[in-house]
Amino acid sequence: MKKWYLMILVLFIALLAACSSEANNSGGENETEDNTQDSNEESKYPNKQIELVVPYSPGGASDMVGRTVGSFMEKELGVPVVVTNKTGGTGAVGMSYVEGKNPDGYGIGYVPVEMSMVKALGFADVEPANFELLGRAIVIPAAVTVPADAPYDTIEEFIQYAKDNPGQIRVGNSGTGSIWHIAAAGLAEETGAEFKYVPFDGAAPAVAALLGGHIEAVSVSPSEVKANVDGGDLKILAVMSSDRDPTFPDVPTLIESGIDLEIAAWGGFAAPKGIPDDVKSVLEEAVKKAVASEEFQTVSTERGLNASYLSAEEFTDFASKQFDFYNELIPNMDLQ
Amino acid sequence: MIDALMQVLQPSVFMYMIIGVILGVFIGALPGLTATMGVAILVPLTFWLQPQEGLAMLIAIYCSSIFAGGIPAILINAPGTPASMATAWDGYELNKKGQTGLALGINAIYSALGGLVSTIFLLVAAFPISRVALSFGPPEYFALAIFGLSMMISVSGKSIAKGMIMGFIGLFIATIGLDPILSYPRFTFDNPNLLDGISFIPIMIGLFGLGEVLSQILESNKKEKVKKIKVGRIIPNKQERKQMRKPFWFSSALSTIIGAIPGAGGDIASLISWEQSKRFSKKKKEFGKGSLEGLAASSTANNAVIGGAFTTMLTLGLPGDSVTAILIGALMMYGMQPGPVLFTDHVDFVYVIIILLFIANLIVLFVGLAGANLFSRIMLVKREFIWVAVILFSIVGAYALNNSYFDVWVMVVSGIIGVILRKLDFPLGPLILALILGPMAESNLRRSLSMSLDGTAAYFFSRPITVTLLSLAILSLVFPVIKNVIKKYKTKNS
Repeated sequence: MKKWYLMILVLFIALLAACSSEANNSGGENETEDNTQDSNEESKYPNKQIELVVPYSPGGASDMVGRTVGSFMEKELGVPVVVTNKTGGTGAVGMSYVEGKNPDGYGIGYVPVEMSMVKALGFADVEPANFELLGRAIVIPAAVTVPADAPYDTIEEFIQYAKDNPGQIRVGNSGTGSIWHIAAAGLAEETGAEFKYVPFDGAAPAVAALLGGHIEAVSVSPSEVKANVDGGDLKILAVMSSDRDPTFPDVPTLIESGIDLEIAAWGGFAAPKGIPDDVKSVLEEAVKKAVASEEFQTVSTERGLNASYLSAEEFTDFASKQFDFYNELIPNMDLQ
Repeated sequence: MIDALMQVLQPSVFMYMIIGVILGVFIGALPGLTATMGVAILVPLTFWLQPQEGLAMLIAIYCSSIFAGGIPAILINAPGTPASMATAWDGYELNKKGQTGLALGINAIYSALGGLVSTIFLLVAAFPISRVALSFGPPEYFALAIFGLSMMISVSGKSIAKGMIMGFIGLFIATIGLDPILSYPRFTFDNPNLLDGISFIPIMIGLFGLGEVLSQILESNKKEKVKKIKVGRIIPNKQERKQMRKPFWFSSALSTIIGAIPGAGGDIASLISWEQSKRFSKKKKEFGKGSLEGLAASSTANNAVIGGAFTTMLTLGLPGDSVTAILIGALMMYGMQPGPVLFTDHVDFVYVIIILLFIANLIVLFVGLAGANLFSRIMLVKREFIWVAVILFSIVGAYALNNSYFDVWVMVVSGIIGVILRKLDFPLGPLILALILGPMAESNLRRSLSMSLDGTAAYFFSRPITVTLLSLAILSLVFPVIKNVIKKYKTKNS
């Protein structure tokens, strides 16, 4: 008698285990079925879980944007949107993964600025033309950040210091060939200063190394240093956007300081090439609504990201221009 | 503080916390479902809750899933999360000796205590701890990884040569994929699945879940004997508690700091704590063969990491591990930016988190002890049923990790290799060790070299922590050799 009871217990646990990974699926299906009972349930998109691939590790700006938009899309589309982080290769791993996904709309991805850079860098054969772009969500300028007690208070002084001490300024970034690496290299190229570049596995460890005094500067996004700038441990010398960053209105742009350079990261959403038009328009609409949502606006302001929507068409055009820009810029840079 | 207590002491907060603990136990106990995954999935669901309710649930999941990872490690030698790798080494042996209840009891008690002590550290020394964590730059990470790798010998079992072979195979597997500094593809054979390397968790599930079951099935043909398993007592007696006191305090302190270091988490902490407790133990020989000290060290360590990880998250706004990376996002959704400013602008909220951590650990203790009897009863079930269940869990777990069939294949192949390795008596510990620490050692060595101003290795020797850790690593390698030589010399003379 007792034995039977235990057997049932084990079987129950086994079933539960099977469900815990499938629970999302079935839950989602039921929901859509409720919504579309009269229409043909099988073919109506979406009717199962959507995978949203973020090509960077959890916690960073890209992850945040991916997850916020993902959670909004979940409500909007009525199916679970599961965010998976596929990191490595400056985002190339995650993007290649999305590129190779079945073009059915159930595998989409967050695509960062690196999409238009990795080919020029020779990392992977990823370029905007390989994807169906769904819409841009954000733009984030690079911010040159140093410890609060550093001997320079302006970007001019910093550049002068770097010129006086060639090779002594170590600038941390979020990975070789990442946009923040290119930003620092672009600054060196433009001003003639000489930096040493230290690639980290994401921006957070680079900021940690700066706080610990292991490197002299980081070029990452304002949001990634906000907590510690507010806390008084770090200071931002300049941002690389055309206009001042709304999060830090007191920080000058490079252009104001007479350095003609504008480098910003951006992020949007993309699907594999060849998804059906009706599916694409459902996703485009979801991205558009997600970016316009109050939730997204709050989160992006809170985290110092600049929500900046571009429609699928505009985004496609923008990304291909960026692709041309980096393909001209990067081969001339000394990145090692 | 009073305000914070008032916020937390509400029935709804407790309700969400208990839901979180129960979910966490399942997530932790099933290999392949990790704490990170559990928290990530639930974050979007907590937004419609009050901040203290949502955080109660997330913190409860985090604490209980790390604790629960030890349960399958003890019962079936398959760690539920990478952080309970070392729990299996001693816990499963204790289970085989019939001390199942005691092993589960120790896992529950010391997980909770480790969590509580690290929370106290967070309460009283958050800023000093975060300063220590920041003093770890790339050279220190490299040294820490080498220090950890030096224990390869001590987890090699009978044959050091076999252990080394396994270790180097592990290091080799760790190099597959895009290289961490220049992103150059290595051994990928143009297969995109290999670009990101072979993930560690499917290998672990294969070797320890599927592999264990397959070898038990093969063994069972030879000797068919029905063992009567008694749960036995759960609470350790006074003498045992005394024995475990030292590894407990040691692991708590060490793991809080390892947890605070960004990028080093429960897996590394429990391995290093286990090894160091062994080094300082009077009963070194028992480690890996059912040592209570070893079990206490690893159980304490993986939960003590949590306090450390929260310290870094709250004081610096930087993730201490992958779970806190997700929690930072959750906090921001509630309008709280973790970082130094949190302590001046929203200090009440910091207290809310600390109180929640305390309560979560107490519930883990309660659930762990109350459930020990129930969990261990699983062992009374016919072995065939357990086998089927484990195989099922292994497949589901490997797939659920990244929703990838490639991972399932990695798991199955690892399982089959696991059987062969067990047959040939190759130890699995060094392989796992190398897989966890290899990437950390490589990327930080190369990062350090790119940081060194003159491009030489001299950079390492100007840094005290690095020098200390590297010296300790060398000592731990050389010392046994010297000891052996002296021993031989002595026996020759006498």
